[in-house]
Amino acid sequence: MIRVEDADGVRTVTIDRPDKRNALTSDMLAALGEAFRTVDRARACVLLGTGPVFCAGFDLRERAGEADLPGLRAQLRQLSQAIAVMRASGRPVVVGVQGAAIAGGCALLGGADVVVADRGAKLGYPVTLLGISPAVTAPFLRERVGDGAARALLLNPELITATQAQDIGLVDHLVNEPGAVSSEAMAIAREMAAKPTSAMRATGAWVARVCGAVESEAGLAESLNAIDAETFERLEKGVWSR
Amino acid sequence: MTALASLTIAGRTGVLTLHRPEQRNALSIELLDALHVRMDELEGRQDVSVLTLTGEGRSFCAGMDLRQVLRGEDGQEWAGPRLLESLARLTVRVRRLPMVVVASVNGAAIGGGCGLACVCDIAVTHADAKIGFPEVDLGLCPAVVAPWVVRKLGAGKARRVLLSGGLMTGQEAHALGLVDHVAPTREELGQTTAALVARLASGGATALRATKQLLNRLDGSEDEQVVLEGARLSAEVLGTAEAQRALAARGS
Repeated sequence: MIRVEDADGVRTVTIDRPDKRNALTSDMLAALGEAFRTVDRARACVLLGTGPVFCAGFDLRERAGEADLPGLRAQLRQLSQAIAVMRASGRPVVVGVQGAAIAGGCALLGGADVVVADRGAKLGYPVTLLGISPAVTAPFLRERVGDGAARALLLNPELITATQAQDIGLVDHLVNEPGAVSSEAMAIAREMAAKPTSAMRATGAWVARVCGAVESEAGLAESLNAIDAETFERLEKGVWSR
Repeated sequence: MTALASLTIAGRTGVLTLHRPEQRNALSIELLDALHVRMDELEGRQDVSVLTLTGEGRSFCAGMDLRQVLRGEDGQEWAGPRLLESLARLTVRVRRLPMVVVASVNGAAIGGGCGLACVCDIAVTHADAKIGFPEVDLGLCPAVVAPWVVRKLGAGKARRVLLSGGLMTGQEAHALGLVDHVAPTREELGQTTAALVARLASGGATALRATKQLLNRLDGSEDEQVVLEGARLSAEVLGTAEAQRALAARGS
């Protein structure tokens, strides 16, 4: 359900589970991290989703009906690791968002250097409705859009439009049609892959160094701590229906 | 020597002009030396509240003087590291000046030239100016300017801009936040700059100075080491065969 292809110096990682709006299971999150951990000779990476929606977040039905909070914990941990690995890949990472990037799906944008989205796309973190804290995303998001916008986005369960996302710096390039997202993202990645390699590596590493360490562990710990009986009740009640 | 960087002061405002128009105000060792001398003069000028930094002619600043950073024959002295260190120190000194510094970006602001605009407190340009950081396209690493770009744009946008290379228009730079005000045409830039400078200079002198100092402390601008480390990294990448080939191809 995570596809990996290497061509033209670009590693393309595709979340391929369109019938579930690319909802992420534990296995998929692990595979996602692995795909960015093993970039080998690729000089740029792209993350895409198959179908009308980039990614609707965690697959919460993976554990439907069971008191399986450990499963949710594992997903949160793997999400944090996957984003950290995207950032540490040493390659520019382009993410293409068509339709929607929600909750854990939107969190993946924290691992991007460049985000392409279609004008109609919706983005956000409505997870507080489920009694889940998006703290795990906060350190990455805050680095990407700054403190003010990160607070507004994480504390408010409303989704924002791709245009609003561009205004705050969460999205870099807008395309008119959802169908144009992947080709635009690929084009940007190919262009980046064609630039002098050592300069790109040095620049990526230096920008990361100048920005300082992202406190991903602290964010993850907060999200894990926030899971309690209420979270489970809310999950059970299906507050958030897909 | 200071002819390369002219300084005029009138009342509470001053104008510092890069004066090497035949080379698009490219930063040579000599031009940087001249700017450092002007920093010596400006650092004590508590009577000046606003300084405008601009370029003579059609360009603001084309970045490093590429002819000076090409490696010659083996054994010949190579100016790359010295030039980058001088630029790094200059950015820190501009940021630390006691007055508010406005970059009036009259034309192309490229690489280190764009970095110079970025380190100013406020940047103004016109819609058609060519602005950006094409370093990675040439196999270079914009390490000296990166800390300032991160402070100006935030980390997310800085990553995208510095890794994407290329140039943008003044209009696009304004939308991105790389410049703060944009005049519709080159001809109107003088007017836009003058209005901004007049408004800034109407503020209380002590208040302006104290506010700038506080902002410098809050955003880590006092950290000279990271910029100097950037200069060393930048020189390292600049010295690679890949970068030197790209520069030589561009120069010919």
